[in-house]
Amino acid sequence: MKIVINVTVNQKNYELAVEPNMTLVDMLREELRLTGTKKGCGLGECGACTILLDGQPVSSCVMLAVEAHNRKIVTIEGLETEKGLHPIQQAFVEKGAIQCGFCTSGMVLSAKALLDDHPHPDEQDIRKAISGNLCRCTGYQKIVEAVQSVSEGEQTS
Amino acid sequence: MLIPRFEYHKPSTLKEACEIKGKFKGKAQLLAGGTDIIPNMKKRIILPDSLISLNGISELKSNSVSGKNRCARIGACATVSSLIRGKFLLPYSALLTGLESLGSPLIRNMATIGGNLATARPAADLSPSLIAYKGKAILCSVAGKREVSLDDFFLGPGKTILNDDEILAEIILDELPACTGSGYIKLGTRKALEISLVNVAAVIALEKPDGVIAGARIVMGAVGPIPLRATTAENLLMGEKPSDGLFAEAGKAAAEDSRPIDDFRGSAEYRRDMVRVITVRALQKALHDIR
Repeated sequence: MKIVINVTVNQKNYELAVEPNMTLVDMLREELRLTGTKKGCGLGECGACTILLDGQPVSSCVMLAVEAHNRKIVTIEGLETEKGLHPIQQAFVEKGAIQCGFCTSGMVLSAKALLDDHPHPDEQDIRKAISGNLCRCTGYQKIVEAVQSVSEGEQTS
Repeated sequence: MLIPRFEYHKPSTLKEACEIKGKFKGKAQLLAGGTDIIPNMKKRIILPDSLISLNGISELKSNSVSGKNRCARIGACATVSSLIRGKFLLPYSALLTGLESLGSPLIRNMATIGGNLATARPAADLSPSLIAYKGKAILCSVAGKREVSLDDFFLGPGKTILNDDEILAEIILDELPACTGSGYIKLGTRKALEISLVNVAAVIALEKPDGVIAGARIVMGAVGPIPLRATTAENLLMGEKPSDGLFAEAGKAAAEDSRPIDDFRGSAEYRRDMVRVITVRALQKALHDIR
């Protein structure tokens, strides 16, 4: 039996009827067509499905959609504004931190949560913050540099 | 991977949750952080008829330091991240190290302390230190509450003393006596998203600054069906002055106390030898932690 939930996604309120066994990542991708959130391992191990839940990064593949009732969610689609890409996204583009792109949305959101709390993290803080996000292209160095460049104010957009 | 169908319940009180759990006997499972049960349901390892979400019960999320003996009371649904950020666990450095080494930031934002205990995985990161601190658990049922020592909480992999209608509600840590220090060492092959090959938590108390050891608790994880006390090693430390030689002897004794098995992550022989090594390091960390 479907359950009705109220959820805020990228500052927009939704009332949705979801099956209890639907995961949050499937709700975002299938019901709201927000396919920027990727589905990798499905077991909470790879971080491709990272979203921000009340500002904290979590794996949306191990969370039930019904559990998102009355919560605030930000997905990668919520970062871009009319002015263009979010500074973190811009930094990823400029630093060559995107290879196949599958981990990117999760990496960017983990980085955003870090920078929101600590605007000037050191390299170890950055590596720790993205330690739940796996990049199988193994392009970690450029990802770390991209996040560093945002914290150092290189990005102005 | 799809999650098999189940009936979803979201009670708003602990009493209501106990009633539902009791009604479904063993066929209902609790949902807290979900980081263990959701993957297990996807893999068809756990197939509950009903899932009872504890996330609507505010009393399970509260944390405080209270009472005349200033004990720490931790709500079972407190997330790992909230406990790291909370600062009130700062004196319990072995537990803090365990909290910080659990899963990844993404997992720590979801996983709960109660879930880490109640799932009773032999390699869990929080149980060794909680046992070493003589932690207690408050178990709630329809009939009322009971307090149990975490020493007696685990029965085997995935098995605890929780009855069908019982829910782990709270974990209590007494204030640490003066001249007490603790340390936790997790051995794995990577820094994040790792399941311990071996882990050891040690708590030692000195009689007075630079005095002899008046209390010692060593708990080893991933080397037995449940977290194991290294009692021979503990007894060997009592009444002695801390020294490298003494800790080396304790490490050897702890290795003998462990009961590791061979599996794909490591051989029993390797694990036993690592118990010896990391027990020494955990003891050194505990001694260093005494301020």
